[in-house]
Amino acid sequence: MTQRTEGTGAAAAGATRREFLKILGATGAATAAIGCGSDRVERLIPYLNHPDQTVPGVSDYYATVCRECATGCGVIAETRDGRAIKLEGNPEHPINRGALCARGQSALQGLYNPDRYRGPMMRGSGGLQPITWDQAVATLVRRLGEAGSAGRAGQAVFINGPDAGSFGLFLDEWLAGYGMPPHLSYDALADSSVLEANRQAYGVAWPGLRFSDARLIVSFGADFLDGWGAAVPQQLDFADARAKVEGAPRVIYIGPRRSLTGLNADEWIACRPGSELAIANALAATAGTSLEQAAQASGVPAETLGRLAAELAATRPSLVLSGVTTANATEVALAVAAINRAAGNVGVTIRPDEALVAYDGLSPAADVAAAIGRMNAGQVPVLMVRNANPAFTLPRSAGFTEALAKVPFKVSFSSYPDATTELCDLVLPDHHPLESWGDSQATAAVIGLQQPAMDPVFATRATADVLIAVARGNPSSASRYPAGDYRSWLVSRFPGGASALATALQKGVATGSVARRAVPARAAAATAAPAPIETQQGDFFLVVYPSAVLGDGSGANKPWLQELPDPVSKIAWQTWVEVHPSTARERLRVEAGDLVTIEGPGGRRITAPVYPYMGIRPDTVAVMFGRGQRSARGDADPVAIRGYPEGTVLEGYGRFARNVGVNPLDVMPATFDPRSGAFAWTSVKVRVTKAAGHQALVTTEGSARQHDRGIGRALVMTPAGLREASGTAHADEIAPTGSPGTEHSRPGTAGASGREAAGERGQGGQGGQGEGAAAGGEHEFPGDASHDFLPGLRAPVAQDAQGSLPSDDNAKGMYSPKHWSGMANRRWAMTIDLARCTGCSACVTACYAENNIATVGAPYQTKRAAVPATPGGNILRGREMNWIRLERYFEGGDEEGAEFDPAFDTRFVPMLCQHCGNAPCEPVCPVYATYHSPDGLNVQVYNRCVGTRYCSNNCPYKVRYFNWFGYGEPNRPQYAWPEPLNWQLNPDVNVRGKGVMEKCTFCVQRIREAEHRAKIEARPLVPDEFTVACAQACPSRAITFGDAADANWSVNRLVTDRRAYHVFEELNTFTAVVYLKKVNHPGPAQPAATTPAAAEGRNGD
Amino acid sequence: MTMRRKWAVIPGLFALAAAAVVLSAYSGASSPEGRSPKQPIAFPHPAHVKTLGMNCLYCHFSANKSPDPGLPAVGTCMGCHLVVGPQRPAMNGRPARTSEGIATLQAYWNKKQPIPWVRIHKVPDYVQFPHMRHVNAGVTCQTCHGQVQDMPQVRQAASLNMGWCIRCHIGESNPGLKARYDCSTCHY
Repeated sequence: MTQRTEGTGAAAAGATRREFLKILGATGAATAAIGCGSDRVERLIPYLNHPDQTVPGVSDYYATVCRECATGCGVIAETRDGRAIKLEGNPEHPINRGALCARGQSALQGLYNPDRYRGPMMRGSGGLQPITWDQAVATLVRRLGEAGSAGRAGQAVFINGPDAGSFGLFLDEWLAGYGMPPHLSYDALADSSVLEANRQAYGVAWPGLRFSDARLIVSFGADFLDGWGAAVPQQLDFADARAKVEGAPRVIYIGPRRSLTGLNADEWIACRPGSELAIANALAATAGTSLEQAAQASGVPAETLGRLAAELAATRPSLVLSGVTTANATEVALAVAAINRAAGNVGVTIRPDEALVAYDGLSPAADVAAAIGRMNAGQVPVLMVRNANPAFTLPRSAGFTEALAKVPFKVSFSSYPDATTELCDLVLPDHHPLESWGDSQATAAVIGLQQPAMDPVFATRATADVLIAVARGNPSSASRYPAGDYRSWLVSRFPGGASALATALQKGVATGSVARRAVPARAAAATAAPAPIETQQGDFFLVVYPSAVLGDGSGANKPWLQELPDPVSKIAWQTWVEVHPSTARERLRVEAGDLVTIEGPGGRRITAPVYPYMGIRPDTVAVMFGRGQRSARGDADPVAIRGYPEGTVLEGYGRFARNVGVNPLDVMPATFDPRSGAFAWTSVKVRVTKAAGHQALVTTEGSARQHDRGIGRALVMTPAGLREASGTAHADEIAPTGSPGTEHSRPGTAGASGREAAGERGQGGQGGQGEGAAAGGEHEFPGDASHDFLPGLRAPVAQDAQGSLPSDDNAKGMYSPKHWSGMANRRWAMTIDLARCTGCSACVTACYAENNIATVGAPYQTKRAAVPATPGGNILRGREMNWIRLERYFEGGDEEGAEFDPAFDTRFVPMLCQHCGNAPCEPVCPVYATYHSPDGLNVQVYNRCVGTRYCSNNCPYKVRYFNWFGYGEPNRPQYAWPEPLNWQLNPDVNVRGKGVMEKCTFCVQRIREAEHRAKIEARPLVPDEFTVACAQACPSRAITFGDAADANWSVNRLVTDRRAYHVFEELNTFTAVVYLKKVNHPGPAQPAATTPAAAEGRNGD
Repeated sequence: MTMRRKWAVIPGLFALAAAAVVLSAYSGASSPEGRSPKQPIAFPHPAHVKTLGMNCLYCHFSANKSPDPGLPAVGTCMGCHLVVGPQRPAMNGRPARTSEGIATLQAYWNKKQPIPWVRIHKVPDYVQFPHMRHVNAGVTCQTCHGQVQDMPQVRQAASLNMGWCIRCHIGESNPGLKARYDCSTCHY
């Protein structure tokens, strides 16, 4: 450009170039001066005295016991600078062997729940008001004294949650000191009918179940993967069984609704609710019910039942379970026990000698209901409740709430404002289990030890210590508790005493047994047998089931669990009504999300949105239980309590649970199994009608169908060997560039071309180990993986968009294996075994806990001036942040939902960032915020990210999540961790800011920590010395993480498995996540969904 | 061309410049190098390090074993200052005096309050800085923190910006101390 033209151009533009620079310089200097002037003062607060044996920034670990359900798994609490930040399973504990479910991990959010009572409360004129502990203890001493002097102590009621340790004995001794009867140990989730039947049949409440020794598992509604029984040990064993592939048990599920356990079964026999007894009797053969009668009662074809009977007779050993929840459940369980005995399973797959003792001494719901009768009669002077919430977990028709009003003095030891506690006169909040001492007998010979992992968050007190303080407040009883605290009481009773306890605490387990209370004899069942369900009036059977995620509703105040989509429906923050699609369309004329009203006996109603689900009988509707907690004060805004921060909701179970969903028990009658006293969750027929309005389903699901994309693949075990199942046609049509594609999986043609391709790709030097395995004999299995990806998996990064691999000559900088940093000699990779994965979603919660992932669905996070608080509102807009999610695809069955077809297959696929070697997200980022690290990670650099979201648009796996709001900023309405929830945040991981993209990092902080540790100890990384959070938690052991470039890591062996495949391999993404195909085991007469993919013309031989 | 048109671009440029500053401040690119705030106690590093010969790790006790260097507890100070009170005798040619700092320290201790030190060194957001890796590799404290033993009042000696980190990681300052410079080494 010449001087002259520049002048002309400048005249036209309005300023010369020189003037432009002058102006720019002046404004720049001015703003720079402003910019440097802001200087926030940040304070560093030291300890007053440094605690011994802790190092700031380095974690301490305490072995303790999980108390979220009755099982009592061993956990390791990781604490940093005095705060518990993560819970993991205790590998030393024989029950759960290092695994932990989502509920167990979420105990932390109970510990740090912002709606916990911060101290004792007493009912005053304006409801519950804070008092001091001295006042609280004095009040309890006085009121117990009054009850005693009135001679009415013998009528007092103490309801405690499940406790398999010494506490029950301690409590009964304490109660006896006041002349009070033994406490009721009430677990709303316990299957009392099965416990009763087990006692009669096997002599123990809960025999050891060996899934891995069985060749055939038949479940009569026993949801052993949904929280029925000892969830984690069952899942561990079940996954081990299914992972055997050859010799794995075939699983048959019998029930009106296909639960998560049902979805993991190979076959679903969809019987009418209440007809399980007929089927079990027919199978037991001794009970005089013919198969035809059973078919008549259950609506299942007689030939299906005949085939089932034949299979049971022919397969040894088998394992038959009952978890039926109708009012005749004990009879079903006894019939099932007879089948087991006839099949010789007792002592083989059912082991009374390995009994779990967690369920000993539980009182069935009917016993609590009996107490309601005494309360109504005005006989009960004092009611105390701890770790139980009968006002919510018993149906409203049982009248607990009304009866409670007739008790003159009610005490709750709950830490949370639940439905029962809200109605009490005195609240003495208990420590969280992570703050208190205790023990838990796991099996007859194993004690789990519970110790505080940190100082109490609030001014709560351990109930046992309060009870001791109360006893010592009275001179006559003080001598019984010389030590003054529960810990001393425990130590004095522990086998071996204080020194043995101190040693055992390091591992959290001890051998031996603690003294436990004598199991009180049950009063003879007073309830009459209810009317059989099939004879009732109503349009639909109603099946109510406890949520696999929220348990008995105690999980509802934990945002991780509320945000965790239900494994079956993929719905969060909502209660839904499961209706078969044909019913929804033809009988109810509703679509997904339309509201329906369920009307039970007596005109009681609930209204909730419809979720059309192909896994339910057309004559049945099902509703999950766990949500729908309400304040006793109704829907009015919560009242502010003196001394509590703004935003605290001390009613309706706190801000995360209040008014979220509905409670199906509101329409249920209080029906109990007369033989066991168990509450009958399935006992009623209801009227279902379309209601006005629509409530969009808060679902994280994109599509329930794979549309032949080959995301979740499966093999079918046939007598002739493994065959490919349907669902992969599309993936095979689009062959990977430069590879012979489908040719590979065809026997005969594969060998030569496969070797060629592998050799060509393996030039990079990193692919060496892969070649042999890739080329060697893998194609003998029809439907086997091509393993074309192996060289790419073992090299750190693709060289170009065509997927060529780097060689020593062309690799640049740190990407060269010869680079001094040595980073390119590793490729972090993961395998996920879909034969093991049950879809339980524990990995998702582990990821939330480890990586400071914000929950976005809490009602307050959507509330604006003009917009009412909507539970899950942000999820409706697709703003959930689950770095790993569980995709659930249905395969087969009637896709249109026009007719009922129980034969469909389900594929659970944990989907996370695949850390592609040739990542589509990387080239589209305009600021290089995402790139590939030499050790194989797809890295997101938050500092660089400006939030264009191009990467997310270009990601074929849809695993990138954008921070639409400042979820980490305390003064924003969307703040995800209201104090003290933020105490849990992992200090090794950043909390991402608004406008930043985030995704799975392969737990890079754990990789770097392991590298730091190895470097400080001057040694190389030991294979398998660490793992990522999802893999650590997985109760199926489905996830394996490690270095795919080093033959000594387990993951290196797994990626060459014959079942290995890549999702969207045809896109040339060269992912670091390798899936192993699920294996289905169809029966002799194969249901359509699990047959080989003959229709697609593949692998037919 | 008129003056009015010429100066019309200025507000736009101001806006651009302001946006750049906001962005750079947000990303932590601007550095408070040289900042030396007044502390609640005028702690004299020279007296402790040079005169008394104390090792940095006596107080910053976890710098060689943790990502966190460790901040001395008030009890650590009081280990000596229970005995060494505010009345300082004549020593090393200095006259007897009353130490305000020790008096303040003892006041905090007697009130059972921690000392609210003002933070000086802070890496930008989204950066991990494991102290123990650097200390164990032989990087001296002074490399990053400056000659603290000569500072009566500590100031930020280095910018702590990324370029400053990288210079060392690529071996520019000391080829024997070079280290990985991949983004994910520090950014996660």
